[in-house]
Amino acid sequence: MSHEAVLHAHESHGHDDHGHHEHHDTFLTKYVFSQDHKMIAKQFLITGMVWAVLGGLMSVLFRLQLGYPDASFPWLEAILGKWAKGGQITPEAYYALVTTHGTVLVFFVLTAGLSGTFANFLIPLQIGARDMASPFMNMLSYWFFLAASIVMMSSLFVETGPFSGGWVAYPPLSALRDASPGSKSGMDLWIISMALFVVSSLLGGLNYIATILNMRTKGMSMTRLPLTIWALFFTAVLGVLSFPVLLSGFILLIFDRNFGTSFYLSDIFVNGVGALSNEGGSAILYQHLFWFLGHPEVYIILLPAMGMVSEIMSVNSRKPIFGYMAMLGSLFAIAVLAFLVWAHHMFVTGLNPFLGSVFVLLTLLIAVPSAIKVFNWLTTLWRGNIRFTPGMLFAIGFVSLFISGGLTGIWLGNAALDIHLHDTYFVIAHFHIVMGVASMFGMFAGVYHWFPKMYGRYLNNSLGYMHFWVTLAGAYMIFWPMHYEGLAGMPRRYFDFSIWESFKQFAELNRFISTVAMIVFAAQLLFIINFFYSIFKGRKVTDPNPWKSNTLEWTTPINPGHGNWPGEIPEVHRWPYDYGKDGVDFIPQDVPVGDHESSH
Amino acid sequence: MSNVTTASTKEAKWWNGGKSPFDVEYGKVMMWYFLMSDAFTFGAFLIAYGTVRFSTNGWPNPNEVFKSYPFAGEGTNAPLVFVSIMTFILIISSVTMVLAVHAGKMMDKKGVVRNMIFTIIGGIAFLSCQAWEWNHLHHEGAWWGMNPFINADGTASSTNFTNFFFTITGFHGFHVFSGVVINIIMLIMTLTNQFEKRGHYLMIEKAGLYWHFVDLVWVFVFTCFYLL
Amino acid sequence: MSNHDTHEHGDPIAEIKKVTIILSVLTIVELILGFWMIGVTSEGGRLAIKGTIVILMLAKAFYIVAYFMHLKHELKNLIMTIVVPLALFIWFITAFLSDGNSFRNLRNTYDPHFKAQSTIKVEAKEGHHGEEGTKEAAPAKAAETEKK
Repeated sequence: MSHEAVLHAHESHGHDDHGHHEHHDTFLTKYVFSQDHKMIAKQFLITGMVWAVLGGLMSVLFRLQLGYPDASFPWLEAILGKWAKGGQITPEAYYALVTTHGTVLVFFVLTAGLSGTFANFLIPLQIGARDMASPFMNMLSYWFFLAASIVMMSSLFVETGPFSGGWVAYPPLSALRDASPGSKSGMDLWIISMALFVVSSLLGGLNYIATILNMRTKGMSMTRLPLTIWALFFTAVLGVLSFPVLLSGFILLIFDRNFGTSFYLSDIFVNGVGALSNEGGSAILYQHLFWFLGHPEVYIILLPAMGMVSEIMSVNSRKPIFGYMAMLGSLFAIAVLAFLVWAHHMFVTGLNPFLGSVFVLLTLLIAVPSAIKVFNWLTTLWRGNIRFTPGMLFAIGFVSLFISGGLTGIWLGNAALDIHLHDTYFVIAHFHIVMGVASMFGMFAGVYHWFPKMYGRYLNNSLGYMHFWVTLAGAYMIFWPMHYEGLAGMPRRYFDFSIWESFKQFAELNRFISTVAMIVFAAQLLFIINFFYSIFKGRKVTDPNPWKSNTLEWTTPINPGHGNWPGEIPEVHRWPYDYGKDGVDFIPQDVPVGDHESSH
Repeated sequence: MSNVTTASTKEAKWWNGGKSPFDVEYGKVMMWYFLMSDAFTFGAFLIAYGTVRFSTNGWPNPNEVFKSYPFAGEGTNAPLVFVSIMTFILIISSVTMVLAVHAGKMMDKKGVVRNMIFTIIGGIAFLSCQAWEWNHLHHEGAWWGMNPFINADGTASSTNFTNFFFTITGFHGFHVFSGVVINIIMLIMTLTNQFEKRGHYLMIEKAGLYWHFVDLVWVFVFTCFYLL
Repeated sequence: MSNHDTHEHGDPIAEIKKVTIILSVLTIVELILGFWMIGVTSEGGRLAIKGTIVILMLAKAFYIVAYFMHLKHELKNLIMTIVVPLALFIWFITAFLSDGNSFRNLRNTYDPHFKAQSTIKVEAKEGHHGEEGTKEAAPAKAAETEKK
């Protein structure tokens, strides 16, 4: 907290800003080795966007294969070389693409890109702090993430290709170097990258928790925190408690790969001959360890989106969030349940059926807090003065997707149904809608809503509306049909379905899905263009509080410097959802409570 | 959740913002939560060990594996002796660490220096013991992927006994080693009067938390590998 | 939590001495139990001793965390945020170990290779291991004993 509060009102141009009183920022200290939480947030966001484009491009490539399994695209060979011999993606390349797409989107985009961006950006601004508890660790957190990114990126270029055993990296494909081409050095780099990523998320998470607990401004009690902060808090707790388990699992995996151990290797026979020198381990153990992180990870991805959606909905409906304490309680319940349900990913791996039934029960319990949240969002909208900004549309889209995807979660949570649906396109449809696209929508909502705070300019609204409608319609068109394919038994992770008589009926549908996927990908490029254009050329923000919002970040100058508030940090006197109270449109948190004010 | 509401109304002074609800600075909060996440790292290791042991029919008898000590003859049969020495070394170094923290609170530089030196010596002694034990087992043919010991029931043992032993004690040893490094840095900072200038020895407290955690983990490792 | 005061809880040095003695006694009791267990062959007896050792281990952990790490003298707020998440370990341990046990049963039922591997007796490689290695008479019974 010893930061000198510095004011520089307009820093939109020039990286060599001399507006400081104390010290001069060079390009390096301002944009590269920055310890300002706002800059680190932007670093996370832009790195995440780079990965999102790459990951999206990968999905376009493998959708091309699934939609047009017989066609040949000479330009593919020109780009991918031996990975697309004769203009058709090879099976090895297909698996590598699927694996990298999953890893990158889950960890780099929706974990680092989402909570890395918004936890860094919003926590100090919304709780009234000058910066994170430890700005230095915050910087390290980004740098570890970047290192992880670079290592992952380099794994794409090794001779034998990147890891291709699925983003869950189950042994033996991940544990035996000779299991597949991608299991060689591609997997080494994959695992190093993930280890660096765990360190990054740990550094970040500890910082977020300590900041939220210790650095709140005067009057900002825990129940006056915006729901965004609560969501980011639980996200950080989930990360801090579950990522280390993944790290342990990976360390054991490294030993299995490189030092002749058999933690995860039970016994394997090839043509009746034992293929392992050491045996007796348990492959199910890896799955347990992986999903002990893997399931909380789903909520690490989802909770920040939930928090931001709650905030954006309340602001743009001009109504207090419905059931603040219920929202908070359900966030807490989801966070706790997230740790208790991991084995529902493992119903068909030889899990003890009785244990499985306990996991079914716990899994289905998640429906309760989820439903509470959904109904609270809907009742927040009810009779509100809704402003359909692009951010608000994405928030509403999030709720729609969360309902559609969440309902199929109840199907999959049943062990009996899961035996049929496991590893089919039904699962793909479920988790892409509820976790992938929904969290993406939360992220888009956040970017559209807080872009004026980040860069002092607005994103272009028309492009935003186009982006929203194409993405929403496209997401449903891509993933809705997959439910039917899955129910018909079409398995996931298959290179080519055209050789099965029973799946031939889906050829046209697959082509349709692939076409829509390309259109949706193009729409995302629209967003990228909008984003970078608006940073430099967007309409300037003139009102410090453009959305007429109550939270503290809008009490800072339009372009806050390092330290956020030029003067004193404002004191907080009320909760953040006083919209339409006593006939007043909105009452920011730093306004003292009046004499005749009713209590909420 | 009702906890939060009551805390914000009744005990308004801790949760109302503007100060730490725990009355400690952020570094200590972070250290505690780091240790908690590290507890999950070790927890995962030990639980993985338990899981593999539960999914295996036989397991070597620790009393037949760990039965020697330095300078003992070939046929020595002294189970638990050497490891109990190691355990006591770590407990005593933990005690001297508490004394160093206490001396820090009293702003007693000499006391801090003396006890930090004892703690560092204890840490190095523990590491030496571990090095000897690893070396001894290695000479008997045990390593990652190699297990010369047979199960207690006389059947062939999988290599997972040694795999887990070396991985987990190695990971713990790595923590001890980094703890010793941190303690040496703290000692140097004390000697150069850094903490005197700051007016508090909070860094020693945080290093102390880490060191006690290392001791705490050993309590579990010791029990799981040598006793159970 | 209103009576929080860093200088309030008696003489710290005396407390450190007391806790050191408690930890040493607990360790010695653990070791005695460990030595005792070498001679115990009944499954129930070994299980009881192991259970006692685990309880003693938790007691040691409590004293280290509460006194050496000073948690007992922190505010209740901090204590709760540390202790409550650790409750996750209950389900963590229960689920993992019970599934490990189930996996062993599965393998014994459906994996003849695994079953054969764990019933074939072997001679220990070195002489001084062999004499203890063959002393158990009933392999199946001993396997049952060792699983816990």
